[in-house]
This record gives sequence, C-alpha cells and structure tokens, in this order.
Amino acid sequence: MNQLRWMLYKDLLIEWRGRARVAALSTFAVTLLLLFSFAVGPDTDALRTHAPAYLWLSVLTASTLLLTHGFKLEVESGAMEGLLLLPVSPRAIFYGKAIANMVLLLAVGVVALLVTLVLFDVTPRENPIWLLLILVLGTAGVSAPGTLYAGLTARLHAAQMVLPVLLFPLVVPCMVAAVRATSLVLGGDAMGQLDSWLWVLGCFDAIYWSLCGVLFGKVIG
Amino acid sequence: MDGMVVGGWEYVWAAYGLSWMALVGYTASLWLRGKDT
Amino acid sequence: MRKDWALVATGFVLLAIGHGLGLFFVPPEAMMGETGRIFYVHVPTAWNCLVMFLIAFVCAVMVLWSGHPKWDARTTGYVEVGTLYNVMLLFQGSIWARPTWGVYWTWDPRLTTAAVMAVTFAGVMVLRKLIEDPERRATAHAVATVVAFVNVPVVYMSVKWWRTLHQDMSSPSTVDSVMHWPLRTAAIGMLLLGVGFAMVRAELERRRIAIEDEAPELPPVPNPLEV
Repeated sequence: MNQLRWMLYKDLLIEWRGRARVAALSTFAVTLLLLFSFAVGPDTDALRTHAPAYLWLSVLTASTLLLTHGFKLEVESGAMEGLLLLPVSPRAIFYGKAIANMVLLLAVGVVALLVTLVLFDVTPRENPIWLLLILVLGTAGVSAPGTLYAGLTARLHAAQMVLPVLLFPLVVPCMVAAVRATSLVLGGDAMGQLDSWLWVLGCFDAIYWSLCGVLFGKVIG
Repeated sequence: MDGMVVGGWEYVWAAYGLSWMALVGYTASLWLRGKDT
Repeated sequence: MRKDWALVATGFVLLAIGHGLGLFFVPPEAMMGETGRIFYVHVPTAWNCLVMFLIAFVCAVMVLWSGHPKWDARTTGYVEVGTLYNVMLLFQGSIWARPTWGVYWTWDPRLTTAAVMAVTFAGVMVLRKLIEDPERRATAHAVATVVAFVNVPVVYMSVKWWRTLHQDMSSPSTVDSVMHWPLRTAAIGMLLLGVGFAMVRAELERRRIAIEDEAPELPPVPNPLEV
C-alpha cells in the first residue's frame, strides 16, 4: 500500500510539474467539441441530443495522447529500467500510473463537460452530481486498459497508432454506458434506467482494474 | 402463410457462397504458405 | 501436419453434408421462408467463432503461465481462425438481415458486439506484426488476447441490458427437431475445420519463428593453396 502511495505521488508530481500538459489536453478536447459542433451545423436539437456522444468522444480521443505520453518519459530516459530495479511490485507501478492517468483524464473530462453544457446548450434535467459520478466511472474505465496498453506499446515506434486500435474496441461497452447515462441525466430519466447503466460502468471498471493490474507485470518485465 | 418472407434464394446463395469462398480461400492461403517454409 | 490437414478435410466433408441437408432436404422455415436456411451456415459460424476465441484465450493464458513457444504459435492460429469466422458471421448476418429486417445493418447489440469483437482481434493481429523481439511479441500478443477475450462476455452481457431485434440465442430447445441434424453436422464440421486450420497455422508460425532464430551460416573460409 505504501508502495502504491509512492508510485502515485511520483506520477502526480511529474504531472503537476508539467501541468501545462493538462491544459493542452483540455484545449485539445475543447477543440474537438468545437469541431463536432461545426460539423453538425446549426441544428440545435441534434446538437443537444448528441452532446453526450461528442463529450465522450472528445475525452476518449484526448486519452490517447495522455496515455502514450505517460510512458514516454520513462522509456526515453531509461527510467523504466530504474523503476524495475526498485523493490516495487509491478502492480503498485500499474495502479499508481492508472490512478494518475484517471485523475488527469477526469480533470480534462470536467473541463470538457462544462464546455459541452455551454456549447450545446444543455441543462441537466436530473441532479448534475450524477454527471460527476459518470465522469469518474467512465474515465476509470478508460484509464485501466489504457495504462496497460500504453505500457505494452510504449517501446514501439508506432505506439500512437497502435494504442487507439487496441484500446477503442475494448472500451466500447464503457463508452456506450457512459454516453447513455450522461444522456439520461441531461435529457431526463423517466423510466429510472440510470442505475442500470451505472452498474454496467461499475462492473466494467471492477473487471478491468483487477485484470489489468494482474497482467501489467508481464508487460513491463 | 401470414407474414412469411417469400423467396430469397439469392440471399441464401450469397451467404453460403461467400462463406465457402472464404473457407476455401483460407485453406489455399495456408497451403501456399506451407509450401514456402 | 498430416493429422491437422486430415481434420480440415473431415471438417469440410461434414460441413458439406450439413449444408446439403439444410439447403435441400429440410423444409423452409415457418416465418422466414427459404432465407431461414442461412441459419445453418450462420449459427455454426457464430458458435465456432466464440469457441475459437475461447481456445485462443486458454492458449494465451498458457503463454503467460508456462512460456513454452508452442502456446504462442497456437494462440496465433486460433486468433486468426476466430477472426476469419468473425468476419464471415458479420457478412452472413448482414446478408440475412436484408430480407428479414429490411436493412443490411442496424444498431443492434448482437451485430455491434460481433463487429467490436472483429475489430478487437484484428487489432491483436496487428500488434503481433509490429513487435520484432519474439519473447516480447509472445507476451504482448497473449496479454492482448486475454484482455480481448475478457471483453467478449462483457460486451455480450449488454445484450441483456438493451432491447434487441436479434433473435434469442438458438439452443436445442428452441429449434425444431428436423433442424437438429443439419445444424449439428455443420457445427461439428466447422469446429473440426477451425481446429484443423488453427493447428496448421500454428505449425506454420512455429516454423517461421524457428527460421527467424536460426543464425545465418558463415561463408566458407577460402583455402589459401587454391587462391
């Protein structure tokens, strides 16, 4: 547990020192949202209905950059070998990285959400606190497999091309659940379906956070 | 019979035909790859 | 290898029998008419696709557990065959959808999960091509296969959550007894075919890796007396 805390501290410290990167990622996500808005055109109903989809697509795309970057530092300066020499279990390394990635992605997600609400002219019909929970569960669902795959592809030249190819089909259930849940909070949940979707997200997260932790050791060994 | 889809042999041939082509094609590719090594 | 090609041959024969029965000897289906015959090619493909990926998953776990290269070769074989069956089932389903639902594609959980599965495992195959070091390649491929396979029931479970146009999964209890024979024969045929294909492919992979590893022979040292 202590190992995990140190790993998390290391990763968050690295990111805090380079917090311009979070700003850059948020700008990237916002740019995507703008593009979606231009691509769809002035049809305010369409924009409002599909706003959750645009939100999550932007977050997912931003995650690719975030994830590949996360390991770049370690691979380039040879710090990976240094990490492995420490008496730290690979599982601690994984969870430290995955949690740090999730926290950063969550920050980007919150910015993207605020912009979405304004840009697509949506006001939540249900309690907006649910949106935060959905963001937490959704970003968690992306960061666990994302961190595993980022570790796996880190040393490849084509890392940035291969990571999305591997990651995106995998997080489809998470994305669909997140979009549906967001859409219910924004558009109103007359039939009480929100709980089911939150359960889907929860189960997805539970499965992948445990599985990827176990597999990570094999990946960086 | 009410509601029964009429005809449609062309779809059946299409489905079976493409499937068999895929299987035979894959067999051929394995055979050829085997000859190289 | 001989054994594996024999499996392929047997598989083809059984499949031909199953399809023959389904096409020419069984009466047309009550609601779907003649198009219902696609059932005998589509359902065995779908079942066996999942079986192939399941076997690939087991082999991948063995790669991570034991590290013996034969498991890596087998994983490659079963992933490839599974993906072949997966692509087949997508176009079979799409062709079948046209006369029955009126469209080639629709946002339906079962179709969508099959498409996601195909893309996921295609990604696994792409990953294998990109890594050169054989040990890292075997591990990465195995990890990706394990994760991809775990995703299959997760995505499939979503069928239970969403309303679906697709029929319920066929099982002997929902299928009329006349239809048992072509279905079972075709299913076993495709199973033998799939295993045969995968084992042949695995052997090819094993040979390819062995060739890669072989150091090139040094040129002969010239005899100074002959020069």
